[in-house]
Formats: sequence, structure tokens, C-alpha cells
Amino acid sequence: MSHQHDLSGEIDRYAYTNGLAKNSPTTKIFFALSSLIISGSSPTPIIPIIIFIINTILLLSIAKIPAKFYFHLLEYPTLAVILSVLIIALFFGFGETIAQISLPWFTWSIYQNGITMAITTFFRVEGAITCTFFLVLTTSMTDLFVTLRKIKIPKVVIELSLLIYRYIFVFMEVSSKMNTAQSLRLGHSSAMRRIRSLALLAGNLFIRTLEQGERTFTAMSARGYDGNIMLLEELPSPKKSAIIAIVLFDVVFAVVIFLLLYFGVV
Amino acid sequence: MLFRLENLVHQYSDGTIALDNVSLSFETGDRIALLGTNGSGKTTLLNHLNGILKPTSGQIYYQDQPLKYDSKSLLQLRRRVGFVFQDPNDQLFAPTVKQDVAFGPLNLGQPPEQVKKVVDDALETVGMLEFKEKPPHFLSLGQKKRVALAGVLAMEPEVIIMDEPTSNLDPRATSDILHLLLRLNKEKRITLLLATHDVDMVPLFANKLYILSKGKLVSEGAPKDLFSDAELIRKVNLRAPRLTHLFEVLKKEDNLPIDEKLPLTIGEARKEILQLLGTTKSEK
Repeated sequence: MSHQHDLSGEIDRYAYTNGLAKNSPTTKIFFALSSLIISGSSPTPIIPIIIFIINTILLLSIAKIPAKFYFHLLEYPTLAVILSVLIIALFFGFGETIAQISLPWFTWSIYQNGITMAITTFFRVEGAITCTFFLVLTTSMTDLFVTLRKIKIPKVVIELSLLIYRYIFVFMEVSSKMNTAQSLRLGHSSAMRRIRSLALLAGNLFIRTLEQGERTFTAMSARGYDGNIMLLEELPSPKKSAIIAIVLFDVVFAVVIFLLLYFGVV
Repeated sequence: MLFRLENLVHQYSDGTIALDNVSLSFETGDRIALLGTNGSGKTTLLNHLNGILKPTSGQIYYQDQPLKYDSKSLLQLRRRVGFVFQDPNDQLFAPTVKQDVAFGPLNLGQPPEQVKKVVDDALETVGMLEFKEKPPHFLSLGQKKRVALAGVLAMEPEVIIMDEPTSNLDPRATSDILHLLLRLNKEKRITLLLATHDVDMVPLFANKLYILSKGKLVSEGAPKDLFSDAELIRKVNLRAPRLTHLFEVLKKEDNLPIDEKLPLTIGEARKEILQLLGTTKSEK
């Protein structure tokens, strides 16, 4: 639990301090989203691998995210992807088989194109993951909120996420303190007690959120809150050259994908 | 009169009478300490001054105008009477320091260009400008308190109300906040009203002291007068500053010739001691 806490806190810290933090969030969002789509729709592993490499280089050398942290972060989704891809490799596909195992009640076949599909899927997802990592590690939530506002996402959604984002950290601290207090009084000394303690903590946390909500509302009213959270919009505007570069980058990949599909190479 | 409270009563919905017939008034430029134990009604009283709570009975006047509770009048009042809450986590809700400080001025409808300037000025004043782009959860408690104060300063208030401004702060942060408040009082003539139970802090900033006990205003006056009245201070479960207590003991138990008005601060104590030494020397 405390480990996860560290991880999300770290991501947040890098989002504010990385080498690309001062660049236009619009550019970064555009890059991340478009390469995510390309990576996800590529019929061959090559394109996602290129995107994976590009994102990794950008994050490590320009954004200056420590390699150790970055690869550690990659471990979790990769583990999940490997598990799902194994299922695809072993149970999907048709046509040419590479192995057949006769079991008393059915014949289990492993197909060549099942393996291919598993490999493609693996790289597609890995490529896509680096795109989202690019976004979360280089763009702070604050910049995201302001950008979302610019592209006319409903206010309620943004205001809710803004408050949630802020108070996640407050309540993470509260719950970790309560957790420590419980374990100091032996609340975690057996499995049953641990479950009981967790239930108490969760219940208590709910009440705390209610109280906090009330106090925050009072404090906001004291500064003239009228049901409308206004933000100071002060973001670097996207560089035209950067946007054009990303568009060209995307177009090249899109053309490659189109040609591959059109000529039936894969 | 800047603020005048007349026979203020506040009863919470559970029946508790939190304020019982409180009347008081103060002037622009005053530095007021509101002293009382936990649960004495300090926070309830403060919450009335910028319209967060409405009195059950009684009347509040700001610059001789009775407070009105429609949203427009409240906005007017809240611009002039800034409130810094005890727990900065209640107040700092925005994702970055800058956005939080900008919240008040934006609510007042100031144009973005002006808001940016006001935000920078306020952060500069409290010495937090370099943290402008940081989210509040990166800051220490003392830093959060200063940002919360900046959020109020950015609205350019005439009065600043702070609930327990120094609770849980280390000595350095405590003295930083106090000096900052004194500077604001001196340079911008901002009236200060601080609720506290830190008696040692009171003589360092206040020129006027109110003592609240069980919802009643039991005494008011200059800190020097009130703290010299040991009887009263004990009755309301408070204590005098440590130094004052020492001099009280020296006077009572050891019969040293100490002035009726006991010293409250180190400076005053020093003078008193030098005087005492002087007299003993001359007696020899």
C-alpha cells in the first residue's frame, strides 16, 4: 500500500519537474493521443516498437525521467500484458497449427497466426503504454485541467477532477496515518483483525471526507466562491513547428499502415 | 468603528449556545488577540465576522453598516474581511499554489492580467513566489499557511482574521508568520484579529485582548492589564505568559519590589530585572 502511494506521488512529482514540464500541454496531449492511436491500430509490431523507442528516448533523455524509475513503472502493465497475451497465444487463431496436444476430451491446437497475433498485440499495447506514460510523466494535472477547459469539456467534470486530485493527496496522508496508528495498536496482528481495521479505516475516511467537504466549501465561500471555480489560464501556447512535426510524424506512420494493409503484406 | 458586535448570540442547531450576548468593537489598524480555551467560542465568533455564520440574535456592524446576508453584500464583505483558516488543507483546494491564490481575485471578477500581478505580489509578500507552480501537497505546513495567507492577501482585505495562525508550527515558522502579520499591519494598515490559545504569542503582537470563556466575553483590554490579573486568567483556565508568571511568583513569594503591571515580553522583563538589580546594588 505504501509502495503504491510512493509511486503515484512520484509520478505526480515528475509531472511538475520533468524537462518537458514547461512545454505546451496541447502539443504533448496531441502527440500522446495520436501516437497512441497509431500504435494501437498498427497491424505489425514494427511501428509500435518504433513508437516505444521514441517515447522512451524522449522520456529518458529530454524529460530526464530516471531510467530506473521509468522501467520500474513499465513492469506493472507489462506483467498484465504478458498474462493476457499468453492466453491469446495459446488459445486463439486458426489455420496452420504448430502444435497439437490430444487430450481425452478435445484436441488443443496452437496456431501459427495465434502466436503472431499475440506478438503484435504485445507490442501494440507496450507502445500504447509508453504513450500514456509520456503524457502522465510530462504533463501536470493542472495543465491538463486548463487544457481540458479550453477544449470545452463540461465544467462540472473539470471541477470535480480538480477537487478530487487535490484531496486525493490529503486523504492519502490521512489514511496512511490512520493505518500506522492502527498497526501501532496491533490492529494488523491477524488476518481477521486486519480486515476489521481496514473496514474501520474506510468508514472513518468516508466521514472525514464529508467533514472536509463542508470545511472546504466554507473556506471557498469565504473567498467569494459562487458555484464556479475559475482558473487562471496561463499556459505556453503550442509551437507551430512542433505541431507540424508531430502531424508529419503521424502521417508517415499512417501511410505505412495503409500500405501494409492495402498490399496485404500482413 | 470598523467592527461593532452588539449582543451577539449564536445557538447551534443541537441547542449549544456557542456565543452568549457578546458585544465588542474595534478600530482600523488594531491588532487584536482573541484568547480562550478550546471550545470557548472563538471560531464561532470569527465565523460571524465575514458572514459564514449568521447570528441567532444580535447585530454586527461593519463600518457602521449592519451586515447583510444576500450574496452580493457577502461578496463585498468577504473582499474586505479576509479569513485564514486553521488547517490550510481546508483552504488550499486548487491544484497549484498560483491557481489557489488566484481563486479569490478571479471571484471578484478582476481581469486575468491584473490577477496575475496580484498573485505574484501576494506570493512575494509572504515569501512563497518561487513555489508558484507547485501543488500544495509538495509544501510543508508552514509554507501552506503562508500560501493560505497569500490567498487572502490577494483580495486586498482591510481586515485579516486568522484562526490559530501558529498552531503546529515550529518556532521559526511561528516567528515568520508573526513578523509577516505585523509588517502587514504596519505597512498596509491591515487590521488583525487572531484567535489563539498560545498565550506567549499574545504580547508579541496584540495591542488589544479579548478573553472568551464558555461563549461569554469575560474581559477586554490591553494585554498588560489583563495578564497582570492572575485571578481572572486562572478562572478562565488560561495562564499568563511564562515570564509574567515568573514575575508574579517573584513578587508574591519572594516579595521583590515589582511593578503592579507585570512584564510580558523579554524586553520588558529585562528592563524590570535591570531595575531590580539597580535597586539592590544601591541598597548595598
